[in-house]
Amino acid sequence: MTDKLGWLDRFVNSLPNRWWFKLLSKYVVVPFWVWRDPKPKLEGGPRNSPQPSENVQRMMNLIMPLKDKSPLGRAMAALAIAQNVDEIFAGLDNVGTVHTARFLILHDNICMISVYDGDFSNYIRDFIGTVGSVFDGIMELVEGGDALNPTEHHIEEFIDWVHAHDLFQAPDFPTDLFGLQDAAKGLPPNVPAHELMTLPRELILQLHANPNLSLGGGYRAYPGFSAAQVRSKFGVGW
Amino acid sequence: MRCAARGGVQMEDPEIAEKLVKALHRPDGSDDLRPVHSIGIGVTGTFVASDVARNFCKAEHFQGGKFPVSARFSNGSGSATVHDGWSDVRGFATRFHLKDDVATDLIAMTLPEFFAPKPDSFLEFAKEAFPVRREIESPWKKFWGMLHLKPPLRDPYPGETISPDAGAIRFADKYSYAQLGVFQAATIGAPKSYVRAMYHAVHTFIVTASDGTRRWVRFTWEPIAGVLNTNPLETPVDDYLQDELRTRLDGDGHARFSLMMAIGETGDDFKDSTSPWPPHRVRVMMGTLTIDDVADDQTAQSEKLSFNPGLLTPGIDPSEDPVLAVRTDAYIVSSKQRGGTPCPFARSTGND
Repeated sequence: MTDKLGWLDRFVNSLPNRWWFKLLSKYVVVPFWVWRDPKPKLEGGPRNSPQPSENVQRMMNLIMPLKDKSPLGRAMAALAIAQNVDEIFAGLDNVGTVHTARFLILHDNICMISVYDGDFSNYIRDFIGTVGSVFDGIMELVEGGDALNPTEHHIEEFIDWVHAHDLFQAPDFPTDLFGLQDAAKGLPPNVPAHELMTLPRELILQLHANPNLSLGGGYRAYPGFSAAQVRSKFGVGW
Repeated sequence: MRCAARGGVQMEDPEIAEKLVKALHRPDGSDDLRPVHSIGIGVTGTFVASDVARNFCKAEHFQGGKFPVSARFSNGSGSATVHDGWSDVRGFATRFHLKDDVATDLIAMTLPEFFAPKPDSFLEFAKEAFPVRREIESPWKKFWGMLHLKPPLRDPYPGETISPDAGAIRFADKYSYAQLGVFQAATIGAPKSYVRAMYHAVHTFIVTASDGTRRWVRFTWEPIAGVLNTNPLETPVDDYLQDELRTRLDGDGHARFSLMMAIGETGDDFKDSTSPWPPHRVRVMMGTLTIDDVADDQTAQSEKLSFNPGLLTPGIDPSEDPVLAVRTDAYIVSSKQRGGTPCPFARSTGND
């Protein structure tokens, strides 16, 4: 940037783009810090909040690893959804608190991405009550799913399993990561204040503990309104 | 006559506004200019409320019709030299001209939060972040930082001899409330145009609807042209923003902003502007501002024009945010010191 940089300044500035420094960072520096300052895996899903708008249009990003990671396994997962379209539509209408829900096959995972209102546990309970058989079909295909089948007989375990497979939602404000990490360790948040320039390292180490994450709590076109309010306003209630 | 409302907040130190203005003056600034946001350009335009705005606020300019607007875009720095391309917070002060020669202001900036929650901590921040000599960080220190997965400090821009960055970071290391503001200010960049940035009024205001319902809200100007920054890896250009605006507004050219209002909820902090509300609050589109001209007289309509975040009108009241109150006082102090035109009378109940 400045025109007064010497050759050593320019060399060090270029390090992050040099292949050998990238290798050094990847195989030595980051593993060292993972060992030196391990981070607990942060809990998935939206965090509890008393504000009404934090309790509508909540995001679930459920990543379920397939047992059979071949194209055949992925096809089986696609079939499990395709065979139950009517049940899913009926279930969503009966639950009433879902804005959108969709299933994705992403590499070796089947994913359920949904936007819902209200309490997470109640949402999952309602889902099991209305589309439990769809989940039973999915559980047959995913790792750790057998122990939860049929889901209607393992509701609490299923809720815990879903929670564990829901993506950690990175805070909307980046420096809030410090406090979340403190809380996960049972420490009072930000006491004492963290060194600000360590935030990138904290993020890197958190991405080691939570390799997948949702970048923030989502962007909303009409924040603060529930599915019931939207349907009521448009006169398409149920 | 005091022209602005302060929300009934009393300062423990009656001289704190003067101390703040003094602390904010940079060595490379000018007594004839504002202590911060020194470089700017005045523009004119019109504001038209949305159809729903009157349901939320009884203020005159939200009832419909066109209202003339005077506004000033600015660079956040208190330097008297133009450095448009440097990473910096930008400001957008807007004055709505209402009937009977009264007015109301909305002061916004590209940073979504403030650095300090109270006047005394604001003063401490201003002193700690006083610009000091800016050196190139030693390559060994940079390398050591990389091994600690810490980003190196940005190299100084060409011509950058002093900077508040080191002091601001030191302050943020002590006080977690300042961390978000300092972090975002450090990475905020430079806009391609003053009208391609989003501006946040930061403080909470209380709006009253015609049925008497009071809501705690925060305002944001969203550019209809979209947000766009310059490439931070390229050598910054020192002086382009005012020319860009003049070219854009030449002839029939114009730029538009939407005024968005987020409604706070129980549990939100209404007094602390270091604490932004999550982006999930109900947002109401309150109106559209169309900017169509650069002001003819930049001295009268920009440099001497005195905006004030406390210049409000019936239907809009200040919250009990003490920084809003001290800024209200500090703007008056600053205006007097540089020989600015006093802000006009406002019909707020808080004005006397």
